[in-house]
Amino acid sequence: MVIAVSIIFSQAIYFKNYFIPIAVLAVSSPVLLYFRRSVKEIVADERDFVIGGKAALIAIRIYSFLAVTAMFVFYALRDFNPAYEPIGLTLAYSTCILMLLYAVIFRYYNRISFSGKRLKYSIFALALFLIVFVAGARLFSGEDDWVCENGKWIEHGHPDFAAPQVECK
Amino acid sequence: MKNRIRELRTDLGITQDELADRAQVRRETIVFLEQGKYNPSLKLAHDVALALGGTIDEIFIFEKGD
Repeated sequence: MVIAVSIIFSQAIYFKNYFIPIAVLAVSSPVLLYFRRSVKEIVADERDFVIGGKAALIAIRIYSFLAVTAMFVFYALRDFNPAYEPIGLTLAYSTCILMLLYAVIFRYYNRISFSGKRLKYSIFALALFLIVFVAGARLFSGEDDWVCENGKWIEHGHPDFAAPQVECK
Repeated sequence: MKNRIRELRTDLGITQDELADRAQVRRETIVFLEQGKYNPSLKLAHDVALALGGTIDEIFIFEKGD
């Protein structure tokens, strides 16, 4: 059901139809809630948690490796198609956030949760993510970029790279 | 780390399922413990020992390097 909802969401957004996702969300939420309530017991023990931790770590490593590799490819090809650059940056940025999140949460449970510094650490982590968020918003804002207008590449802001080689349509 | 889970379980005449029920874990966990493929936490070792009516040091045999 989750897979079906995800497919409907992505396709609807792709076709710029925003009514379908809202309708699907409204219908699927109570259905998912019903399914969740019908689960009486989850059979899991400490071995599942150990396996879950290992699986999460391996998944993070694989994702990071693939995302960084794809980022280099997209970034190297940005002159052929300007759309590749934000894709590469998104991949790089999401990988950084994922690894940062992992490091922050790991340190919290490894050391901080046993100490009296939980509040200080939480404030520090929040500030860190705010800085990352603001930096990311600035990076993706497209302030310094080349914009295609009337068949010409127009400088927007002060991009530190040359205009794209591809034809501006 | 070796253990005597299978031996004590057989002596008690209970199945892996029943032992899993008593220790409140999954049967697979008991299987892996008996095969020596999983080192339990202190809590799980305690729960299994309790379920078998023994103590941790009677059931789990620690060796040098464990």
